[in-house]
Amino acid sequence: MRRCFPLLVLAFSSAAVSAETPLSFNHDIRPILSENCFYCHGQDPNKRKGNMRLDVRESALQAGESGEVVVVPGKADESALIQRILSDDRDEQMPPPKSHRTLSSEQKAKLKRWIAEGAKYEQHWSFVPPERSPLPQVDPAGWVRNGIDSFVQARLEQEKLKPSPEADRATLIRRATLDLIGLPPTPEEVDAFIADPAPDAYERVVDRLLASPHYGERMALPWMDAARYADSNGFQQDGDTFQWMWRDWVVRALNADLPFDQFSIEQLAGDLLPNPTTDQLVATAFNRNNLLNGEGGAIPEEQRFNVLFDRVDTTATTWLGLTVACAQCHDHKYDPITQRDYYSLLHLFNQVSETGVAGGGPSRMRIAEPFLEVPTEETKVRLAALEAREKEAEAAGQAKAKFNLALTAWKAGLTPESKTPDGRVLDGKLTTILRVPLEERTDAQKKELENGLRSQFERKVWSGIAKEDAGAKQWEDAKAEISKFRGEEIPRVMVMRDDKPRETFLLDRGEYLKPTEKVSFATFGFLPAPPAGAPQNRLGFAQWLFQENNPLTARVQVNRMWQLFFGRGLVRTVEDLGVQSEAPVYQDLLDWLAVEFRASGWRLKHMHRLIITSATYRQSSKVTPELRERDPENRLLARGARFRASSLILRDVALAASGLLNPQLGGRPVYPYQPEGIWETLAITKERDFTYPASGGADLYRRSLYTFWRRTIGPANMFDASARQTCKVRADVTSTPLHALTTLNDPTWAESARVLAARSMEHCTETDARLMHAFRRVLGRQPAERDLAALRRAYERQRAIYDSDPAAAGEVVKIGTAPVAANLPVTEHAALTAVCLALLNLDEALSRE
Amino acid sequence: MLEALLTNHQRVTRRQLFGNAAHGIGGVALASLLGSQKASAQSPVLTAAAGTPRGLPGLPHFAPKAKRVVCLWQGGGPSHVDLFDPKPVLAERKGQDIPESVRGTTRLSTMTSGASKWPIQPAIKPFKRYGKCGLELSEMLPNIGSIADDICVVRSMNTEAVNHAPGVTFFMTGGQVPGRPSMGSWLSYGLGSEADDLPAFVAMTSSDKQKTCGQLFYDYYWGSGFLPSRFQGVRFRNAGDPVPYLHNPPGMSREQRRILLDDIQEMNAAHLAEYGDPEIDTRITQYEMAFKMQASVPDLLDFSTEPKGILERYGPDVLVKGTFANNCLIARRLLERGVRFVQLMHAGWDQHGNLFTQLEEQCRDTDAPSAALVMDLKERGLLDDTLVLWGGEFGRTPFGQGDPAKPNGRDHFGRAYSMWMAGGGVKAGTAYGATDEFAWNIVENPVHVHDMQATMLHLCGIDHEALTYRYQGRQFRLTDVHGKVVKGILA
Repeated sequence: MRRCFPLLVLAFSSAAVSAETPLSFNHDIRPILSENCFYCHGQDPNKRKGNMRLDVRESALQAGESGEVVVVPGKADESALIQRILSDDRDEQMPPPKSHRTLSSEQKAKLKRWIAEGAKYEQHWSFVPPERSPLPQVDPAGWVRNGIDSFVQARLEQEKLKPSPEADRATLIRRATLDLIGLPPTPEEVDAFIADPAPDAYERVVDRLLASPHYGERMALPWMDAARYADSNGFQQDGDTFQWMWRDWVVRALNADLPFDQFSIEQLAGDLLPNPTTDQLVATAFNRNNLLNGEGGAIPEEQRFNVLFDRVDTTATTWLGLTVACAQCHDHKYDPITQRDYYSLLHLFNQVSETGVAGGGPSRMRIAEPFLEVPTEETKVRLAALEAREKEAEAAGQAKAKFNLALTAWKAGLTPESKTPDGRVLDGKLTTILRVPLEERTDAQKKELENGLRSQFERKVWSGIAKEDAGAKQWEDAKAEISKFRGEEIPRVMVMRDDKPRETFLLDRGEYLKPTEKVSFATFGFLPAPPAGAPQNRLGFAQWLFQENNPLTARVQVNRMWQLFFGRGLVRTVEDLGVQSEAPVYQDLLDWLAVEFRASGWRLKHMHRLIITSATYRQSSKVTPELRERDPENRLLARGARFRASSLILRDVALAASGLLNPQLGGRPVYPYQPEGIWETLAITKERDFTYPASGGADLYRRSLYTFWRRTIGPANMFDASARQTCKVRADVTSTPLHALTTLNDPTWAESARVLAARSMEHCTETDARLMHAFRRVLGRQPAERDLAALRRAYERQRAIYDSDPAAAGEVVKIGTAPVAANLPVTEHAALTAVCLALLNLDEALSRE
Repeated sequence: MLEALLTNHQRVTRRQLFGNAAHGIGGVALASLLGSQKASAQSPVLTAAAGTPRGLPGLPHFAPKAKRVVCLWQGGGPSHVDLFDPKPVLAERKGQDIPESVRGTTRLSTMTSGASKWPIQPAIKPFKRYGKCGLELSEMLPNIGSIADDICVVRSMNTEAVNHAPGVTFFMTGGQVPGRPSMGSWLSYGLGSEADDLPAFVAMTSSDKQKTCGQLFYDYYWGSGFLPSRFQGVRFRNAGDPVPYLHNPPGMSREQRRILLDDIQEMNAAHLAEYGDPEIDTRITQYEMAFKMQASVPDLLDFSTEPKGILERYGPDVLVKGTFANNCLIARRLLERGVRFVQLMHAGWDQHGNLFTQLEEQCRDTDAPSAALVMDLKERGLLDDTLVLWGGEFGRTPFGQGDPAKPNGRDHFGRAYSMWMAGGGVKAGTAYGATDEFAWNIVENPVHVHDMQATMLHLCGIDHEALTYRYQGRQFRLTDVHGKVVKGILA
């Protein structure tokens, strides 16, 4: 399979590169060398064979250990590289047979031609800061709406292809609505758009969507995947967390169009900003959304390092589009990232007072230091009520007076030999002080004694009294309730805080027990350096990401935006723009967008609007057999993108189409329908209760992003989603029978179908009108006569089934927990429910086309 | 990317058979509209295009010895000292410290790494010779003993992991931290499926009745990591539907579903004709596959045709849902139906403080079902090309844990431990590798977890260095950059 991949690239680049144009190192040669040679002849000195490296021109032009000169510019036949790749001798041959790598004859010819042309090297394209190239000159009569389209049209002209016509309005508004807010448009919105004669009708739709509070919810989804966000720590106890406060911050920040540089700096280093706000502190939870191992016997320091490694990987993938994990053990084999670079970055995260353990206690919550207590308005009110109750209880039972009386009496009778009611003597420190005559005790000793005795009394003596004395008991119960409430209800977000300075060392083979050289603050050596005087901490790193000459940050983000709206990035390997990444067909466009993003002040909404209003985006996604043959993956962008929506969005679509959707924004996670015993395997542990605390009522119909995400077992109906264990930025869209079973049989979809059918019946009286109503709630567009005929037939066949089996029909109309529409004829309602379920399962409904 | 290429690859073959797929209707849907379910089920090409893709071109790399694998995972760390690796010296020196010269700097879990005593704890029950080969195993394992001539015990397994989740993750995925594809997903990615109405990769879980262990089984143990998610294991659950959402909603019968599906498929086919997107065709076939699974999974779990004698082999729990015995019988039925990789995960071997009571019970629960599965496979002629793996994430310390004067358990121990294998291509009736007289250090033929993974792939006809997937700019494989095939255990 892998072999097909370069061939596809070649097919396009050879169309663009004529025989006379010299080969490009970045496009034509580096991919071959990187894939086949750099592992042994690249920058990692430990793996280098024959003391020969090919990634640097000066080295390639020298003689290796064998005495042969590898590359002789202009003289392919004299170059050992060519002799070796053409050799039949298994001992001579490169790549060696054992490496399982072979060069195609086309690749060999290219290498030969490249040396003949002078063996020129270029720096990897994404490591050079992007420049805004002038827009290509294209036929002015063409379809260009903005800069994006100039690049696409120029390329299509070159390829002798025509762009596809604009998608019809119903399709277009459904596409934009799904892409920008993750919900289907209502039939009214579709009709209004179709009827709007203004030339900027579409732009106004886009602006409405960008201003919707649901925009932030939709845009949070890929960011949550990158941040490996979950509502629990993972592993054995899988303690629940309050990290949803961070999720809400993300939604708010995106809705407010917080510029991406600020959005990032606050998440990476909000705590290091001057006088940080609570929001800026909560933002840093990004880096605490990691797996946390609370297993008994786990070595905390080893776990702490696993957290650090994960943090480095996540940061590098999310902001730099680089895969740095290799450099944990050795210099990167392909990208110019050294092991020192890796640990210099790790150093920035190594100053936090976390210990590698997840915390303990009887609570289902497991919050590891450092954390920030952020009472919500609701919890403040409830806490005040509890505190008032405590006061009342104390006053009613005169508990405090009793406490003080008993404490004084107990202390008065104490000797160094006294035992507490549990039969044990006092703590050694306390007895030592007690032995010191009263007048000789220092103030510090007095204080220590006072505090120590008080705590002994509270735990061992008073607790016994409180069991006997009703007044004391009431007070104690009220206090216990407060402490439980504080533990389980008042949000404590795990955040970043540099409160534990540590030295950081390179680790031999990445093993935490084998530190070698000490490292300090540094950004990656092969990228432009930060200005002198930059803060030597996470803040300095975060600011460095956004300095003007950083070549990666903007490219990485616009590439991911492209993936969001076209299904795939302009560079398909969205997680990696390094040397091993795929050379983009539209590098000029990518760079133009990157510069535009920076120049706009890192405005996400501006960029989203730019892409979504382009003619390129607005093309129909219908494909002719010829175009499919020519460009099966739509790399040339001669048509609109068509792909299945994410399962999280599909669930929202079903809820929205039926009208069940609860549009409430933010708040603690909810527990909608999941299969019986979803967390049953977790019940193996007795340490805590893993019963699924199913929600009821309106909480069943919240948007998918609010569903509680247990890190060890994700929601069963959110298929193809990130496992939320490590950073994930590539969208996965697969098609399996299990997905079909989900959307056909999950109560979420079945209940949505039932409620959609009921509303259609309440809304219209004729069968055709009902079918049309349901159709439009799901798909937006008006059904064609062909669609209507198919729906009628489906409905009649279902009617026949339920007419002959009214008992089954009676079950259908009660699916789920939403109120039953008792006034509707049962068999008709059941039949229409089945048709609605079919509608929700049409490929068209599952796709954004 | 790869997904699309795979689809493309299948498309070519389909096009050759049916002409341009874009003109018409998905083959399976067509068959079902014509009322001919059978035609579709019997066509291997259509099967390949359905939920059960064929493997990669060029695979297997060489003739496989095993076509399918069943992994009987024993979670928690079964004690090699008590079960598989007899050491008379331990009995002779009971209670004395393990010599420091033996212990060296072995990394132990935090439960014992700070200890000052390392009191030798001999095997709690005697060992016995079994079979013609005279293999020595604990007398607590009489049934596994009865198949001694069919198995190979590896006594020189080793791992770097000191704790459960990292250890299991390491064995299953080749890395200690979650995120990589599991063995079964690598196999189904590389080799595809031979079952046309069941997933290629199935996982099942169980635990000891007392739930002493506390070890959980996470879904990334059978996850697909960065491989496309359709290669992940499908976990058959012990409660409710074995596969989520297998049952139709209330009031919707199988007949009703068939008719509704025909209507869905017809509308999808019309849409395909208009849009020309091959993904629509794939969707049509996946919906048909889902329909088939709704029948095949209940059929799989219907034991009514199993003879009494066979059921008895698996022990008294065989009909109790969610037990290891029940899962073993399901495993056999899955393997018979061509499922590529079956991963049974049983918890309960983590005897830190209950060695003298729990270990024997644990053996009782697992000994008969494990042996029964091997015997059943053999009698059906399936053992020759099915690989059976039995073992856990590590072994247990040769010294006792708890009060040094009267230890009652053993801690985790990855420096040396045992597993056993049977079937496809494995040298039967042997023990491979050896530890020193304290069962602490390996003295002969070490087998690292990566070596075991390489060997498993080798038996399936795969060169472990050549089955790779490009992710984040590099080629990943199950064995990371390590692993060598253990030639000494190949038949």
